[in-house]
Amino acid sequence: MIVTVTLNPAVDKMYWVERLKVCDVTEEEFLTTATRSGSSAGGKGVNMSVFLSQMGMDNVAMGFVGGHAGHVIIRDLRDRDVTTNFVWIREETRTNVTVLEKGHEYVPLLIGESGPNVSALELERFRRKFKRMLSRASWVVLAGSVPLGVDAGIYRELASLAKEAGAKVVVSARGEALLQTFQASPYLVKPDTRVRRSLMGKDLASSEKIIEAGRQIAALGAEMVVISHEVTGDIAVTKDAVLVIKTPVAPREFRNLVGADDVFLAGILYQLVEGAPVETALRFGLAAGLASAESDEKVCGEMDRIQAEMEKVTVERVEREGA
Amino acid sequence: MKVREIMTKDLTAVEADLPVRELIFIFENAEMPNTPVVDDDGILIGFISEKDLIRAALPGYFELLHSASFIPDMNQLSTKLLQIADEPIGNYMRRDVHYVTEDDDDLRAADLVIRQGVKNLPVVNAEGRLVGRVRRIDLLRQLL
Repeated sequence: MIVTVTLNPAVDKMYWVERLKVCDVTEEEFLTTATRSGSSAGGKGVNMSVFLSQMGMDNVAMGFVGGHAGHVIIRDLRDRDVTTNFVWIREETRTNVTVLEKGHEYVPLLIGESGPNVSALELERFRRKFKRMLSRASWVVLAGSVPLGVDAGIYRELASLAKEAGAKVVVSARGEALLQTFQASPYLVKPDTRVRRSLMGKDLASSEKIIEAGRQIAALGAEMVVISHEVTGDIAVTKDAVLVIKTPVAPREFRNLVGADDVFLAGILYQLVEGAPVETALRFGLAAGLASAESDEKVCGEMDRIQAEMEKVTVERVEREGA
Repeated sequence: MKVREIMTKDLTAVEADLPVRELIFIFENAEMPNTPVVDDDGILIGFISEKDLIRAALPGYFELLHSASFIPDMNQLSTKLLQIADEPIGNYMRRDVHYVTEDDDDLRAADLVIRQGVKNLPVVNAEGRLVGRVRRIDLLRQLL
């Protein structure tokens, strides 16, 4: 079973509009009416759980939820056949807003909240739940931001517990929480570079620098490091290879990028769990991410569409150490 | 139809050493009237409901009365509840739990829900670990 941990989940509120009027409008135009809107459970691990469930893969979503937004998340996950095991907290779960303007969906307006403060007691309740789940877990995903009130070392702690219990660990995070996790040697690392294109104090401006950063992380014990290079391309560094994953699909064709990166990672994980070779997992992952990005739905788990997208993805082994 | 096909896949559960006041918080916020109690391995060991807490806060002679109108005032209940607020819920949970397994038929779940008058039943796997719950509404939805 796969356990996904999203300590700071969110309700993803999405609005589709004809034209996004932010400034330079007359008084009569101040109201923008959405042509469509929707709410869904969100957060990196949550999005991954939704995709894995669509693939028919047994998984449990864990984390903290609170207030009305917490109920929206639980209800949505339940409707999507995801097993839930969240800790209820006193403060309200965050809501992240995305506005997609017609014709410019590939550059959405995103407004994210910091999220609730989690108390020491609530964190302790989560620890016990998490430990209880480990006897059933073969893979543990630690994904997204760390909530207020929780130490940045939490992912390192949870990764160590998971490894002790015999589970493989996948981390998708950023900042200090990510850096500290390297000490626990997770199996798969996907740094979140959306906010800052740097890692371990180094900028990721070129593929050479990305490969160098990936090798540094792999040297600390990770089996695979996947780092975004461009919107439609990533670089994977394993213990013995560097692989470039690419697609010629133009970003302008994207209809909804929210969650696509999480589906990419979930697609890789799905294939690894199924025992596929690394190249196949990476190709499938990017194809799944593309299928989601090209659809209005945040998470697209339609196998036919993913397989069609796989035709557009290439995985090139550019370098083999010692070769 | 098997229970696994109709159950709600939610693993919300508490440990027997959880204080009563924390359980009340969970009941209120998760909007659940009851919850399974599990051990550190996730094995089902008990069940506790709002009704059990109310019973715990009532005077010992309540069972002998025919109506709650014999209780002198709400302060008496409040005082008793405050007294037990930090006690572990294990003191008040029921250990004779009605449950179904994920491989049971929905008819067995319906039978238990009707005969025991419960709003939901814990669902366990072959190892006795909690894997979900069957709510009355899950059964009704299936019947439509």
